This record gives sequence, C-alpha cells and structure tokens, in this order.
Amino acid sequence: MALDLQMPILVVDDYKTMIRIIRNLLKQLGFTDIDDAADGTEAYEKMKQRRYGLVISDWNMEPMTGYELLKQVRQDAALCKTPFIMVTAESKTENVIAAKKAGVNNYIVKPFNAQTLKGKIEAVFAD
Amino acid sequence: MSKLDIQQLIDFLEENREKTNEVTLTDVMDLAEVMTGSVGDLIEQAQPAVTRELAEIGAEIAQMKAEISNLRVADMRENHIPEAGRELDAIVSSTEEATHTIMEAAEAIMAADPEDSEAYADTVNMQVMEIFQACAFQDITGQRISKVVSTLNTIDERVSSFVERLRLEHESHSDQKAEETEEERRKRELILHGPQHEGEGVSQDEIDALLGDVQQDDIDKLFA
Repeated sequence: MALDLQMPILVVDDYKTMIRIIRNLLKQLGFTDIDDAADGTEAYEKMKQRRYGLVISDWNMEPMTGYELLKQVRQDAALCKTPFIMVTAESKTENVIAAKKAGVNNYIVKPFNAQTLKGKIEAVFAD
Repeated sequence: MSKLDIQQLIDFLEENREKTNEVTLTDVMDLAEVMTGSVGDLIEQAQPAVTRELAEIGAEIAQMKAEISNLRVADMRENHIPEAGRELDAIVSSTEEATHTIMEAAEAIMAADPEDSEAYADTVNMQVMEIFQACAFQDITGQRISKVVSTLNTIDERVSSFVERLRLEHESHSDQKAEETEEERRKRELILHGPQHEGEGVSQDEIDALLGDVQQDDIDKLFA
C-alpha cells in the first residue's frame, strides 16, 4: 500500500532540534504537511482542531508526557483511531510494553535514522 | 546549677528569642552545649557517672560542629554548585548552537539546486566547512564537563568524609525507605527512566520483537 505523502503529520517533542530533525527526515521521505507541538497538552489541543493522519511523539515531556497523550487519544472516541508512533530515548522493556498496552502502533528508540522511521511508518499503514 | 550557669542559659535564650522561625542545627547544638555546661556542676555532686556522660555528649557536639564546619556548606552552595550549574548551562547552550549551525548547513545543502553543478559544489563545500567548524564545540564541552565532574567529586569527598566521621553510614541506608517525593511518584507512574546507557536498554530489534510477538495475554501477565 502506497503511503499518502499529503497526509498531515503531527510531531510532538519538547526539543525544537528533535522536531527539526524529524521534520527534515519526513521531508526527505516525501511528506509535505508536517505540524508540531511542544508537549502532550498542546498536541491534544491541536488534534481536537485538526484530523492528523499520523502522530509521532516523544515520551518524556512536561506537563503532559507522550505516554499520557497516547492514553488520552485512545480514550477519545473522535481520535482513538489515529496512528501513533512513539519516538523516544525511553528504552526499557517496561516502557515498550506499557506503550503497547496503551495502544501504540509502533515504537522507535532514539537515536534512529531515516530508514527506521520510514520502515515504521510503512509498517503502521501496512497493518 | 549556679547563678552564673542560669544567667548563661537566660542570655542564650534572650539572644535567640527573635529566631523562633529559623532555628538552625547550629542553634540547637549551641543550646545543647549551654545546657550541658549548666547542669554539669549540679549533677556532678549527685552522680559523677552522669557528669562523664554529659562531658562526652559535649565533646560529641563539639566534634559535630567541627565536622559541619569542615563540610563547608556555604562554599558548596555559593561557589561550587552555582559554578557547576553555569557550566552545564553553557554546555546546553553551546551544543544547541552547534546543532543549529550544523542543521542550517545541512538544510542549505538539501535546498541547493544540483542542476547548477558549479554553484552546487560551492554551496556544499562552504556548508561542509561550517559543519567542521561547528564540531569544535565538542572540545570545549569536554573541558566544561571535566570541571563539573571535578565539582561533583569535591562534594562527594566532603559528604563521604562527613558521613564516615560522624558514623552516619547506618542512618544513610535507612534513607532508602524515605517517603516518595512528588517528582519520584510522577517518574514512577509515567515510567520516566530517561535514556539508558549502552547495553542497558532494549534495542530497536528487541522492541520490534516485543511489539510483534507479544500478545495481550502475555502483557497482562506481566502486570498481574
């Protein structure tokens, strides 16, 4: 299945540099509509305003973490189907299992490369 | 207790009357010293063994004051820790600046038009030089980190020495049972471990395997 390169993607990270890196990688992969948010609260507000085709979120943010955002999104009837990829330095098995249990579609551990990001996005939309 | 002793105690309490809201450990020890000295004569007449005990307690208090003085808390609080904080801020700032420069260069290369090969080569060469120069931050950052490590070592030595001399080792172990702070509770509940060291976390392949193979039942068992 071909990826929809026009779908809006929301990148959530409290580090502007990481947002910039993911933005550039997504651009390199051909995606054109990329938005960003600095934490879970801002992301959730943006998600209520606009329907995103994919959310790529960090875990460790304040005040709302990516994990809390994931759980909140999955509990929201209007947003619960939104594909969600966690991109994080949290690499303990406990984190991966908690994210899986909360309904994450894929999980990328930092540092990562464009190929990994591409592979995971493809895997999410292949399901 | 002689009149002189009582007067000393009254003087001490008078001097500290205004400090009801900011009593320090030193104040308490000073009071203990005065009290120990005040009741000494009275008890000596009735019970010499108690006097010896009081003298030992007095000596312990004096030693503790000396050890606290050796800790040089003010020096750590006013010099070492703020300086380490400034170094760490400078590290964050310089790495951010270098990353910004490197990304600017990379974005300029990405945006350059390869159709005009000569101009493209010039752009790439110029931006690559920018990247090399920006990487110099690593040297300065290394020196700053060394200063922070040195500060941590100084604090560690002083505190360790303090704990050892005052025989607080046993008490320090009981700290592990201290009440969980709000920040610790948040970290535990939201599973915030932070980055793992090399070989400590799970790899991307292991994550893929976990996400691919683990069934809900297996996950539920882990949480049971």
